[in-house]
Amino acid sequence: MIAMLGPEIPFYLVVSGILFAIGALGVMLRRSPLIVLLSLEIMLNACNLSLIGFSRLLGDGDGQIFALSVMAVAAAEVVVGLGLIVAIARRRLDLDVDEMQELRG
Amino acid sequence: MSGTFAGAWVCLLAPLAGFLVILLGGNRIRRQEAGWISTLSVFIGFAGAVGALVELWQSDHGDRHHVLRAFTWLRAGDFAPGLEITVDTLAIVMMLVVTGVGGLIVLYSNGYMAGEDEQRRYFAYMSFFVFSMLVLVQAGNLLLMLVGWGLVGLASYLLIGFYHRRPDAIAAAKKAFVINAVGDALFAMGLFLLIAKTGTVDFTTAFDAAENGELTSTVAGLIALGLLGGAVAKSAQIPFHTWLPDAMEGPTPVSALIHAATMVTAGVYLICRVHPIFEAAPSIQHTAAILGLVTLLVAGLIGLAQHDIKRVIAYSTMSQIGYMFVAAGIGAYGFAMFHLVTHAFFKALLFLAAGVVIHHLDGEQDIRRMGGLRRLMPYTHAVFLIGTLALVGIPPLAGFWSKDAVLASALATGGGLGWVLYVGGLAGALLTGAYSFRLYYRVFHGPPSEHVVAHSGHGHVHEHGPEHGGAHDRHAHAGEGPGSMLWPVGILAALSVVGGLLNVAGAWHPFTHWIDETAEALVEASVAEEYITSAIAVALGLAGYLIAKRAFDGGREIVPEGTAFTVLSRKLYVDELYAALFERPLQAASATIRDAFERPVVQGSLDRIGTGAQEASTLAGRVQTGLLRSYAFAIAASVVVLGVVFLVVR
Amino acid sequence: MGNAIVWIVWVVAALACLGTGIAVVSLTNPFYSALSLIGNLASLAVLYLLAAAEFVAAAQVLVYAGAVMVMFLFVIAYLGGRADAPWAGGPRSLQIAAVVASVALLVEVIIAIGLKAGGRLSDEKTVSDAFGSPKEIGRLFLTDHLLAFEITSIVLLVAAVGGVVLGMRSEDEDEPEPEEATTA
Repeated sequence: MIAMLGPEIPFYLVVSGILFAIGALGVMLRRSPLIVLLSLEIMLNACNLSLIGFSRLLGDGDGQIFALSVMAVAAAEVVVGLGLIVAIARRRLDLDVDEMQELRG
Repeated sequence: MSGTFAGAWVCLLAPLAGFLVILLGGNRIRRQEAGWISTLSVFIGFAGAVGALVELWQSDHGDRHHVLRAFTWLRAGDFAPGLEITVDTLAIVMMLVVTGVGGLIVLYSNGYMAGEDEQRRYFAYMSFFVFSMLVLVQAGNLLLMLVGWGLVGLASYLLIGFYHRRPDAIAAAKKAFVINAVGDALFAMGLFLLIAKTGTVDFTTAFDAAENGELTSTVAGLIALGLLGGAVAKSAQIPFHTWLPDAMEGPTPVSALIHAATMVTAGVYLICRVHPIFEAAPSIQHTAAILGLVTLLVAGLIGLAQHDIKRVIAYSTMSQIGYMFVAAGIGAYGFAMFHLVTHAFFKALLFLAAGVVIHHLDGEQDIRRMGGLRRLMPYTHAVFLIGTLALVGIPPLAGFWSKDAVLASALATGGGLGWVLYVGGLAGALLTGAYSFRLYYRVFHGPPSEHVVAHSGHGHVHEHGPEHGGAHDRHAHAGEGPGSMLWPVGILAALSVVGGLLNVAGAWHPFTHWIDETAEALVEASVAEEYITSAIAVALGLAGYLIAKRAFDGGREIVPEGTAFTVLSRKLYVDELYAALFERPLQAASATIRDAFERPVVQGSLDRIGTGAQEASTLAGRVQTGLLRSYAFAIAASVVVLGVVFLVVR
Repeated sequence: MGNAIVWIVWVVAALACLGTGIAVVSLTNPFYSALSLIGNLASLAVLYLLAAAEFVAAAQVLVYAGAVMVMFLFVIAYLGGRADAPWAGGPRSLQIAAVVASVALLVEVIIAIGLKAGGRLSDEKTVSDAFGSPKEIGRLFLTDHLLAFEITSIVLLVAAVGGVVLGMRSEDEDEPEPEEATTA
């Protein structure tokens, strides 16, 4: 049986929260879509961390399964996002989220 | 107890049935048939009235007052009015007049309105009017009487405005309705006060309360004043008289029926019917007499200066009803009703005869363009003369007996009021002679005017060459008019001759005794008073005739040209006065309200809702900037807020 | 003694995690940002290991850092260019609001979990050796969470197809001119 060594779960959760906030800041503040995508990745990973933490707390493997699925979906999302960015770049448009404003009422 | 008086119900409901049949039949009935249905329904009503009369006659003297109830309409504690009709001596008289004279006039209309496009509507309205008048007359309680009052006003409006494409007709109908509405309001207020004080609208109970002094004199006075207001408006007495001359815009039979024989006499009937209330407030009753006197004189004077044949007769009606009000005002109810009956005969006769003349002259109504019809229309001339003589009060025709009886009662009343009424009434007799014969001479004597000549050939010959064209097909009959028009005129002429013999002064008084059973007279003139009055009145009537003849022979008007004539022909400028006092301030007030309140606030608020919604949506649209980052921020912010909400709520 | 080492490792890994995170968000050069993200992923893997999730840690390094980030780097190299400075874009008010929102999020999360979970955060269960092993993960995937497994695979398939479609050329397109080589 493995007991918990080191910091207890709340510490993991705090780190996860801070990481999430950092990622959110990046999404809201940066103008380049590439950086935005990277910040999104950070947010996803923060969630993964808290999932793993809770899984350890409750001794239940479901959290890890969930984390793996999140990872797979994040990968898929990155593929699509990068494809979009490449397509934008191919059309000689500025890689600037502020320039792409046509989704509005 | 006595019989069922089915006749009374038949009388009430037959004209209603006629109206409904024509209404529901619509285009499926031919126009002529609508006329027959209407005429038949009114005559069936007459038969019913006769039946009720017979039944009443056969009952004992003390048993001559019945109230028959069909159903109860409202129930509020003790207050339970319903559909009640009254069958008593007073009501029977009115029923007979309304259905009898009314039937004759509807029969006449068959000829007069032949070829009219909207004949069915006319006859439907006529049946409806007869029904409404019967509701008023036969009402067993004041509430139902008010219902009849209103219905009659409606019928009058519909019929005056019958030629609805003429703006004058529509304006006249509106004017009549508005002034009647003022009267209705006063009537209703009197009624409300009565209900408040006695808790009932039932005649018997109300009258008992009045007679036993349960109503204070102020209250009784107010109630009587309200009822008087309604009567004055409906009967076109001063000050609510301005609608009657304008009402001549309606077809002539309408003028005969509504504005001579029946509706305008409703005010007189009301006073006779609710006389205990008036007797409890004698000052108001005397006010009625004074109003009658003033109207009598003023209308007579104005009639001297009018040029439209129908308007002269209308002012004559106003004047004669003034006599009836004088009679009712001093408590001579029997004579008031007697004059009502005789007046119905000869005034309807005059109107219908005038209608024959107008019909013959293709719609000409100006007496300045008539003349010399004596030879061209001998039958009409004869009946018109009979009517004129009856109106002026030449014995032995009907008007003589009734009008002089009214004056004699005034003499018998004595006191300042009696003398004023007496002298005024005699002066009115002079005026009556003057204007009646002025009219007669202008229409029938003298050389025929060009207009008459142009239309004269039609009455006598059968053949109509092609040059006459289709418009003259109405004259495709021998003589002065179709039989349906001439017969009723003849019957009314006969009634004008013999009708007065219902009540001969000093000899026999069946009529006044009959009415006395319901409305006991307050004064009784002695035989001597009656004969003296008659002599003076006849003399004055003949004096009026001489004045008119001399003026006509001299080729001038009775009233000399100039200010007097202008003022009279403009009806003493009362219309203008009312317009300035009421119409213009009201219009100004409503315009002010419209500009200050209606447009900005009411309309504006609606507009504001629309534009406000648009502005709000434009504002809301600004959220969709298209910027990715603002969307992201929005999402983050919402999550924050939602988190707080959930934390707090749970 | 073992405890102390674990603590030190944990603190270092946590700091590295946060530091690289900040670096990702604030560096101008996208290449550097991507590399920082790789470091972030690695430190996260360490943290996973400390929380007895070995398979997930391994998958993180292999898949995430190894495949996904490499793809990222390829695209960045292809596109070249530089990104904007961190505080460059948008109105000041929006930036301040963004900071506030992020901080609020953080605070909220902490409060929420603190209030709700309360004392239970301290009772970790003791877990077996097999917890987090590939065998255990595999068992769970193929028995309890089979549906999730299958769906995830379909998602990946769809993403692959989407990537190919997005990357296809159409007629009215040019290659972007080769940018000057950025310092890599």
